[in-house]
Amino acid sequence: MQKLFLIGLKDLKIAFRDRAALMFMLLAPFLLTLGLGFVTGRFSGGSTSGLSDIPVVIVNLDKAQLGDALVDVFHAEDLSALVEPAVADSTAAARRLIDEDQAAAAVIIPAGFTESIMPTREMLAAGAFEPDPVQIEIYTNPARPTSAGVIKAIVDEFVSRVEEGRIGGMTSILGIPGIETMSPVEVESLTREMFADANEQDFSNAAITLRTDNQGAEAVAFDPLAYMAPGMALMFLMFTVSYGGRSLLAEKIQGTLPRLLVSPTAPWQVLGGKVLGIFLTGYAQVAILILASALFFQVRWGDPFGIIVLIAAAVFGASGWGLLLTALGRSTGQVGALGSAMMLIFGILGGTFISLENMPAFVRAISAITPNAWGLDGFTTLALGGSLSDLGKPILALLVMGASLFALSAFIFGRSNVMKR
Amino acid sequence: MKKIIAIIWKDAIMRFSGFSELLFFIILPIIFTFLLAGGTPGGDEDTRIRLLVVDEAQTALSAQIVSELGASSAVRPEVVSRDEADEQFSQRRASAVFVIPAGLDTASLQDGSAAVDLRQQPNNLNASIAQRAIQTALRRVSSAVSAANTAVNEREKTMPFASDAEKTAYFDKSLKLARELQEDTPQRVAVIRAATPDQVEYDPRANSSAGQLITWVFIPLFGISELFAYERATGTLRRLLTTLTRKATYLLGTISGQVLMAIVQMLLLVGFGILVMQLNWGRDPLALAVMLVCSALAAAAIGSAMGAFVKTSGQANGLSIMLGMVMALMGGCWYPLELFPPAIQTFVKVLPTTWAMQGLLDLVLRGGGLADILPEAGVLLGFAAVFFTIGVLRFRYE
Repeated sequence: MQKLFLIGLKDLKIAFRDRAALMFMLLAPFLLTLGLGFVTGRFSGGSTSGLSDIPVVIVNLDKAQLGDALVDVFHAEDLSALVEPAVADSTAAARRLIDEDQAAAAVIIPAGFTESIMPTREMLAAGAFEPDPVQIEIYTNPARPTSAGVIKAIVDEFVSRVEEGRIGGMTSILGIPGIETMSPVEVESLTREMFADANEQDFSNAAITLRTDNQGAEAVAFDPLAYMAPGMALMFLMFTVSYGGRSLLAEKIQGTLPRLLVSPTAPWQVLGGKVLGIFLTGYAQVAILILASALFFQVRWGDPFGIIVLIAAAVFGASGWGLLLTALGRSTGQVGALGSAMMLIFGILGGTFISLENMPAFVRAISAITPNAWGLDGFTTLALGGSLSDLGKPILALLVMGASLFALSAFIFGRSNVMKR
Repeated sequence: MKKIIAIIWKDAIMRFSGFSELLFFIILPIIFTFLLAGGTPGGDEDTRIRLLVVDEAQTALSAQIVSELGASSAVRPEVVSRDEADEQFSQRRASAVFVIPAGLDTASLQDGSAAVDLRQQPNNLNASIAQRAIQTALRRVSSAVSAANTAVNEREKTMPFASDAEKTAYFDKSLKLARELQEDTPQRVAVIRAATPDQVEYDPRANSSAGQLITWVFIPLFGISELFAYERATGTLRRLLTTLTRKATYLLGTISGQVLMAIVQMLLLVGFGILVMQLNWGRDPLALAVMLVCSALAAAAIGSAMGAFVKTSGQANGLSIMLGMVMALMGGCWYPLELFPPAIQTFVKVLPTTWAMQGLLDLVLRGGGLADILPEAGVLLGFAAVFFTIGVLRFRYE
C-alpha cells in the first residue's frame, strides 16, 4: 500500500508543478467563473440572472388619461431596475433608435387610445358599446428578443388591466334598468355617483388568489454562481482526469514505466498508484476551486460534509472516464485530444453551458452518463439548503459509474501490453 | 509566392495529420452548435416556457384557466399528474408547477374563496415569467365574475334589490353582459419587428450558430502562438531561416495559412447552418465574406502577438484555449449580450469577439447588408492592425 501512495503522491506533485496543466486545471475555470459572475450581474449586486435596465422608447401620441398612465407604468418604482424608459417626440425618431440598436423596443401609443377604451357620452347614450379598436404598436429590436418580450409583457399586462376595468365599468353601467332612456347628462351623473368611491382594485384584481411558494417558507436564496462555479469545476475536472491518464502512456514512452515494472512493484500497485494520483489531483483541483470561489466570490456552497463527500464521488466517477480513455488510447496525443473533446462534450451534456431543463429530452437522457450532470445535481441540492442525506441518488450514480468504468479499464489494460513487464 | 504556398501546405499537413484535429475543426463545433441551438428552439417551434399544470379541480372553471394559459404568448401549459409534477420539480426539470386544487368552481369564485397554487424554483427567470402569465390568465377568467359582482354591488348602492331572486337575476344578466364584452374585446397591441426590409424571420438558433462559429475559429487562430513556440523550441524555425527564405515570407506563409484554414472552417459551419439548420446566412454573401475575413484576421493577429511572448507550446496551447473561451463568453457568443448588465455590455466592447458577434448578428438577425457591418469590420481590422504590428515587431526567431 505504501508504494501505491508514493506513486499517487508523486503524480500529484508532477501535476501541480506543470504550469500549462495548472492553467487548465485552476486558472481557466476560475476565470470563466469570474466571467460568468460579471455576465450574470452577480458582482454588481444582482442576485438573479436576467435582464436589467432594458432601454425602451415611449411615444405618447394619445396625451390623455390612459396614454399617460402607460408612460407612468414604465417610470414606476417597481420597474426602475428592469427598464430604462426614454420618451421620444415622434414615431420616426423612436423607430430610428430601434433600427440603430439603441433600444430593445419602442412603445407607440397612438392618438385616440384613451377614447377607444373609455366609452363616450354618445356611446353610452346610444347603448352602443362597440369601441373602435386602436392598437398600441410595439416596434421590437430583433437582436434583443428577450428584452423586447419583457416590454411586450408589461404592455400586455397594462392593457389587460385596463380592459378589465372597462368591462367592469361598462357592465355596471349598462346593466342599470332604464339606462337606454336616460340622457347623456343623467348617465354621466349616475356614473360619477356609482364610482365615486371605486378604485382600480374593484375592477382589476383577480377573484382567484394565487398562492406562491418558493420551495417552502425557508426558501434559501439561491446564488446562480453556486450552479455555474461547480459546472466549470466539473468540466475542467474531465481535463484533469485525462491528463493523469496521459501520464501513464507518457511514462511508458519515456521508459520510466518499464523501469518501475522491473522493480519489486506489482503492476496492480503501479496502476493503483496512477489511479490514486488521478483521484488526488482531481480532488485537489475541485477543492481549491470551491475554496477560491467561496473566498473571492462569497459563493455559499452549503453543507460542508456534503461537499466533501460529493467531491469525492464526482472525482471517482470522472476518474473512471479518464482511465477508460487511457486504456483505449494509443498515444499521449490521442488521449490528450480525446480528453479535451470529452471535457467539452461532457460539459455541454452535463448542463455547464445551458441548464438541462432547456435541452431536448434525448440530451437529458444522455447526460446521465456524465459525472457533470450528477455532480451538478448534487451541488445544486446543497446550494439550495440540502444536506448529505439528500445526495443519495447522485452519489450512488457516481460511484456506480466509477466502479463500472474502472472494471472495464482494468479488463482492457489486462489485454493490452501497457502494464506488461 | 511558391515558398508561401509551400509553408501553407506544410502547416496544413501537420495540422491534419491526425483524426483528432477533425474533432476540433468541424465535429465538435457542429455538435456544440446543434446542442446549444437545441436549447433555443427553431423559428417554427413553440418558444414558450413549459409550465406544468396539475388540474385537481376538473371543473369548467379550471378548464377555462388551462385554456387561457394555452392562449398565452409566454407559457405553454402541460397538464400532468401531481406525482409527475412533483418528480420533475424536485429534479429541477421544471421551473414551476401550477396546481389548481379540487373545489375550484364558479361558486368559490363568487364567494371569494377561490385560490390556486404556484411552486417556483427560486431565482428562476422562467418561473417569474410563468407567474406573470398565470396572473394574467386568472384575471381574464375571473374578470367576468368580478365585473358581475361589482355591477351587483354598485347597483345595490343606488337602487337596492327588492329580493334575493332579483339580485341573482341581476348577477346572471351582468355576468352574461361581461362575458359578451370580454369576447368582443379587440386586439389592442400590435407587434412589429424592426429593420428587416424583407421580413427576415427571427430564429434564436442564429445566436448559437454565430456564437459557436466565432468560438471555434478564434481558439485555433490564437493557437498560431503554439505553432511559433513549437517551431522555436524544435529548432526548425532557425533552420528555415538559414535557407533563402526571408522572415517576412515565413510569417506571411504561417499566418495566411492559418487564416485560410479558418475561413474554410467558417464556410463549413456556415454551410451547416444554411443546409441543416435552415438559417439565413446567405442573404448578402459579400457582407458575410467581409465579416468572416475581418474576424479571422483579428484573431490571427492576436495569436501572432501571443506567439511573440509565449515560451513553450504547452503554455501557448493553454493560453489560446483559455483566452478564447473567456473572450467568447464575454463577447456574447454563448449567452446573448442583451442579458448582460449594461456596464458589462459597454466594457466588453474592448474584445474582438464582441464586434465579430455583433456583425454576424446584424447579418443573420437584422437582415443587414454590407453598409451595416462596415463599422464592425472596421473595428476588427483595427484590432488586426494593432496586434499584427505588435506580433511582427516583437517576434523572436530563436
